[in-house]
Amino acid sequence: MSAYLISMSTFVGFFMILALALNLQWGITGMVNFGVAGFYALGAYTSGLLAVKLGIPVGLAILAACLAGMSMGAVVALLSMRLREDFLAIVTLGVGEIIRLIVLNEDEITEGPRGLRIDAQPFGTLVGPELYPVFYLGLVALCVVLTYVVCESIRRAPMGRTLRAIREDDVVAEVLGKNVFLHRVCIFAVGGFFMGLAGALYAHYVQNISPEVFMPVLAMFIWMSVIVGGAGNNRGILLGAGTVMVFLEGTRFIGDFVDVLDAEKMSALRIILIGLLLILTLRLRPRGLLPEPKFRVNSN
Amino acid sequence: MNTTFTRRAVLASGVAALMTPSILRAQESDIAIGSLTPNTGGGGPFGPNITASHKRVAEAVNAAGGILGRQVRLFQENSETNPETAVRAADKLINVNQVIAIIGTFSSSVTLGIMPKCQSADVIQMCTSSSSDIPIADEKGLVFNFQPLSPIWGRAIADLVLSRGIESYALMALNNDFTRSMMDGFMERVGSNAIIQEPFYYNAGQSSYRSEVTQLIEKSPKAVFIPSYVADFTAVYKELYRQGYEGVVITTSLSTGAQFKETVGAAGDGVIHGFPVPALSSPAYKQYLGEAGLEDTGSVQHPFGTAGRDQMTALLLAVERAGTTDSAAVARAIWDVTTGDGKTTVYNLADGLEALRAGEEINYSGASGSLEFDAEGSVLGRDFQLSEIRDGQDVVLQRLEL
Amino acid sequence: MSLQMIINALVNAALIAPPAMAFSLLFGILRFPNFAIGGYITVGAFAAYTFNVVFGLSLPLAAAGAMAFTALVVWGTHIIVFRPMQEQSAITLLVVSMAVTLILENVIRFFFSSDVRGFDIPLERPWKVMNAHITPEQLQIIAWSLVIGVSLHLLLAHTRIGRAMRAVADNPMLAAIRGVNAARVTAFTTAVCGALFGLTGVFAGLDLVIEPLVGWNLTIPIFAAAILGGIGSPYGAILGALLVGLAEEATILVLPSTYKVAVGFVIIAVLLLLRPQGLFGTAEIKK
Repeated sequence: MSAYLISMSTFVGFFMILALALNLQWGITGMVNFGVAGFYALGAYTSGLLAVKLGIPVGLAILAACLAGMSMGAVVALLSMRLREDFLAIVTLGVGEIIRLIVLNEDEITEGPRGLRIDAQPFGTLVGPELYPVFYLGLVALCVVLTYVVCESIRRAPMGRTLRAIREDDVVAEVLGKNVFLHRVCIFAVGGFFMGLAGALYAHYVQNISPEVFMPVLAMFIWMSVIVGGAGNNRGILLGAGTVMVFLEGTRFIGDFVDVLDAEKMSALRIILIGLLLILTLRLRPRGLLPEPKFRVNSN
Repeated sequence: MNTTFTRRAVLASGVAALMTPSILRAQESDIAIGSLTPNTGGGGPFGPNITASHKRVAEAVNAAGGILGRQVRLFQENSETNPETAVRAADKLINVNQVIAIIGTFSSSVTLGIMPKCQSADVIQMCTSSSSDIPIADEKGLVFNFQPLSPIWGRAIADLVLSRGIESYALMALNNDFTRSMMDGFMERVGSNAIIQEPFYYNAGQSSYRSEVTQLIEKSPKAVFIPSYVADFTAVYKELYRQGYEGVVITTSLSTGAQFKETVGAAGDGVIHGFPVPALSSPAYKQYLGEAGLEDTGSVQHPFGTAGRDQMTALLLAVERAGTTDSAAVARAIWDVTTGDGKTTVYNLADGLEALRAGEEINYSGASGSLEFDAEGSVLGRDFQLSEIRDGQDVVLQRLEL
Repeated sequence: MSLQMIINALVNAALIAPPAMAFSLLFGILRFPNFAIGGYITVGAFAAYTFNVVFGLSLPLAAAGAMAFTALVVWGTHIIVFRPMQEQSAITLLVVSMAVTLILENVIRFFFSSDVRGFDIPLERPWKVMNAHITPEQLQIIAWSLVIGVSLHLLLAHTRIGRAMRAVADNPMLAAIRGVNAARVTAFTTAVCGALFGLTGVFAGLDLVIEPLVGWNLTIPIFAAAILGGIGSPYGAILGALLVGLAEEATILVLPSTYKVAVGFVIIAVLLLLRPQGLFGTAEIKK
């Protein structure tokens, strides 16, 4: 049981980093990113391929993954700054899908549908196999804390507050000029950095990745984490990610108790239940479990 | 910080609240087995049959007193044909339900995706996957693949088709590991002269297959070979028909089962399909039909359901033979009970148990094939059969004995 | 580009255009991109299947039944799920609509399993047009698409309810002041859109296969067409559908067909960069 909780917590950790990064992009810059799965994939494959095919040490590979995510973030932000949020949703979904398709089709490099096997793990040789899962959870937790601290700092910093205040209002944004524009691009890129980090951590944890891992449905669940948790509130995001994971994985256990329906019906029922739980949560707490704290003029 | 408390509290209480170890973990005396099948997603048409077979075998043996005097507890999870969720499902099966084996995985990405966790937990895997990476990644000898690797399929189908004297082929495959490697095997045998254009792949789940089909039949090949799954093949075939293609359409029997035939009706006549087969006259296969409530139509039915029955049967016979649930011993026993000569051949679990308990060595010959495993846990090539759809029925054209 | 490719593109477009128009209409009234359209289309396909294969009705009758049933479902989800939350942000509603599509798809799967099915209609061989092929069925789909486009135009431009729909889409407060009952107009719009999604389900069942994932597979091209045309503009959606249809066909001239979906996105992205409000879009309807 403890082994199970340790691994679930690790998976929640990945979701948390992704959701925090997404919230950074959406909450601060107001740019809707539905291509989360693509950034995740970019991070995972960058780190994985560098470690497996070029023998680069894991630490450096993970760093490269972060930088790749950051660059992709900058590119996407630069290109789509002018777009309205619903358009941006589709365009970023497209970016995510394009990344997945490249990974799938260019199998000479990425192993495509065969999947990429990744043996290298951070500190894999130093920590023994029994303790390794705990160690990895610790590593992921550290990264969650790091991401949280960075995101929270950006949120509270003067520029962060300014950007939040104007994220809905492009006219004001234009008046404030290029400075604002560049800041938005940078912050979006920082979000990409952390998504890449999450991807790399994921890849070295599961040790086998394939394009099917990075489907658009993943973006759905990360967005659900953000919205259920409370967009704009980083603490809420953490709660949201945990909640979504509880919905996803907790519903598995029902099958262990209930044996009346056949497997296919149980599977369908489980997904229906997940959808209902999400809708119910949002009905009861429409602004999220921990909504964004009210904007105070004299905040410290 | 509030955060840490809140998130841990939610997670811990959420999960732990459902935790009552005595219900979720099999009783100390139970034998826990994980059935991880694609009940939704791309493998959705295939998964439910596999797990239904697992369940039937488990229920039958429990009614007869179990294995080594213990009841078999089956834990079913949906892999969603998606390694991202399948890994967590496997985690639950291994760490919460404490299964000794995870059987029934279908897509290679899921089988390979859960392998690191299974290997480090010494959990046996049984799959019907195609990737040649599977034996390579299986460092502990715990993985058994009940499906012959797909280059074998490709070569076998090609051999069977060549005798029909078709001069020109065009190839298009679903873009996944299974179908792509089948295409390689086919091309090898047919030779590059007969293939009149560069073979290509297509992705499933598209909103239309028109451009792919147009490209495929552009040069008017006499035959087209399309390894695929049933959902995409049916859509592709409808498009082929609607674009007026009149040549021979070759695929695997996976794509041409009852669902396909009912959907396209008479237009499906003439499709040629191949599949590794058990001797369709095999007692095990006939028993399977009875167990699953199917009529003996002479076609390949439930290609994966039969494998599911075999997985469960072989596993349970192995546990009985090994006298323990220790995975290394059980894995060795899987070979013992399925492979090799000079043994009593059995076709179902009950007979196998009876023979084992009488001290005999057995060779389980299954509903999906005679099940002889090589040293790496891959099932040796089975017989192959080529059929043609005529008047909505499968008519056997040829068999290849491997 | 061969004639066959052009025909292919036309059929693609004919399949995508009606739901893209419906999506645009819905967006105009409800002010958020509704991801549940995938679920609605799947419901339409299976409803038609039930009427046609299980109850034995002819396909046109089954289609009518499917349209009515889907209209009910869309209206139902509006009343039960979306309307009580209409104050929420567009993103929240978008996320909720994703949950709705998951639910609808799996309710279908619960009752029908993942098996692949088809209507009780024989497959037809095509007519030959120069060296390209087209089936009568495909021509019908194209014809119906055109009829729908024209009817929708007539509805919006020349009927009272149509003008009311446009008024509510443009400025609900003003419309209310002018005496338009927004709730009733919205209900009517959802029903009309539901009927369109139901019909799309029928066409998808004819063109592709009837399975729980059929609507999901169409969702992204529909979004692409609607957004390209400019969300809120049904006519733009038709043009968007044509462009998306052409883009899909043209892909294989340059790239392997496994990149088909990608090309659609790239075209949208490029077009939106040049014209951020889409081809026919009006300026900001932000929420």
